[in-house]
Amino acid sequence: MSGGAQTHFVPFAPFGGAAPAGQYLFLTKPVNEQEAKDRDIELLRQIAAGDRSAFAEFYDRHATLMFSIASKILNDSAEAEDVLQVVFLQIWETAGKFDPAVGKASSWAAILVRNKAIDRVRASQRRSRLAEESGVEQAIAAEDPESANETLYGHDKARLIQSVVGELPTDQRRAIELAYFSGLTQDEISKKLNEPLGTIKARIRRGLLKLRDQLEGVL
Amino acid sequence: MIDERMEEQAALHVLGALTPAESAEFSRTLAANPELQRYVARLGAAAAAVAGNVPRRTPPPQLRARILAQVAPPKVVSLPQRRFRPSFWLPWSLAAGLAVLCIVLNVQEAQLRLTILGQSRRISDLQQLADSLSSTTNDLQRAVLALQQNNRLANLKIAMLNSLLTEAPRTVAVSLWDESRQEGVFVAANLKTLPPDRDYQLWVLDNGTTPVDAGVFHVNENGGSRVEFKTKQPIKVAGRFAVTEEVKGGVVSPTIKNMVLASN
Repeated sequence: MSGGAQTHFVPFAPFGGAAPAGQYLFLTKPVNEQEAKDRDIELLRQIAAGDRSAFAEFYDRHATLMFSIASKILNDSAEAEDVLQVVFLQIWETAGKFDPAVGKASSWAAILVRNKAIDRVRASQRRSRLAEESGVEQAIAAEDPESANETLYGHDKARLIQSVVGELPTDQRRAIELAYFSGLTQDEISKKLNEPLGTIKARIRRGLLKLRDQLEGVL
Repeated sequence: MIDERMEEQAALHVLGALTPAESAEFSRTLAANPELQRYVARLGAAAAAVAGNVPRRTPPPQLRARILAQVAPPKVVSLPQRRFRPSFWLPWSLAAGLAVLCIVLNVQEAQLRLTILGQSRRISDLQQLADSLSSTTNDLQRAVLALQQNNRLANLKIAMLNSLLTEAPRTVAVSLWDESRQEGVFVAANLKTLPPDRDYQLWVLDNGTTPVDAGVFHVNENGGSRVEFKTKQPIKVAGRFAVTEEVKGGVVSPTIKNMVLASN
């Protein structure tokens, strides 16, 4: 399979709702998604065997995304560096445990760094800026035109993801952001947002399903 | 079939919003349900897309080097590290080794100095000997010339006598013997001067074993001597020559313990 650029069409939902009939975003994939996924799996297999060059390549492919997530959660570059170091050592030691059946390597790496950053926040009894009421809104305001997804998916797809996330209903988006970036449990989110637990669960579920459906074929 | 409750649990799972107990229970269910695994994989990609929607922050370059430096293949790198890890005793061993080396070198240096000094003296002695032998050679050349004039060279026996005295290593002599005429010439150098009641006595060992008296001789102030001699008895084969120190006038049989020079 060729690793070169590949063109495809994705329904484009501009700010404000569903994609108008016949309106598509013209995307140029920087790399083939399946090849990228296969490459990550191969790299993790090599890392498990002690291959440092594979580890370096895996770092180059995912460090920016992971550092961006850690920085957002911790709001502190030095702590984000520490977390990234710990997580990459964790990847070095546990790469053999990665199961491609339950997700992409990038998702796995993202959740590893998210969990470690959240642990750091809980240990220091601090909360990131996003844990605050206003912080959540800022997290999705996307003031920075370039997101961490650009490293992984390229400019066009990152913009598409940005727009799809931005079009989520605010209550769903807020619940998802609080869960992911602040490390709050469903009960804590329920209390923080002063909403019934069932409502929070439903919002999170519906929001993720919407993202999944609208980004089908992109991620 | 994944029901709505399981979908909610899956969504909370990929966002990390389950309590530890809930997460453990869901993980057990997930491990046994391939359909749920596929569902979670797709939902996890959506969650990762949200995570990656944060502003891009590039890690500092030195972080990469720091992380890579901390990992090492255990099968390849750890063994050499253990092998070459400096032990507590290594510096002391090196210091002790250097000290021993210094001592050995000092001893060798002293020995070399002594050797050089001894060799210098030896060279000086040999130079003096060469000078003496040069004079002796001149005498011998004159003797050979005289013998040649008498056409007796074909019957000439030439022998070199070396010192047997450790205190007089430079003493040397040459003896020429004309078997047909039963006479010879003896030239010596560096013999010590004897007291008035002592003489040097020359011996010709007939067939190499039987000493035959060839007369006594004296040395000049330089320890040199040149004499023409005849034996007291006929010599069949002049195998060897020897010089002994004897009482004045000589003796009938050589005193072996007083042998000064002898040829091979």
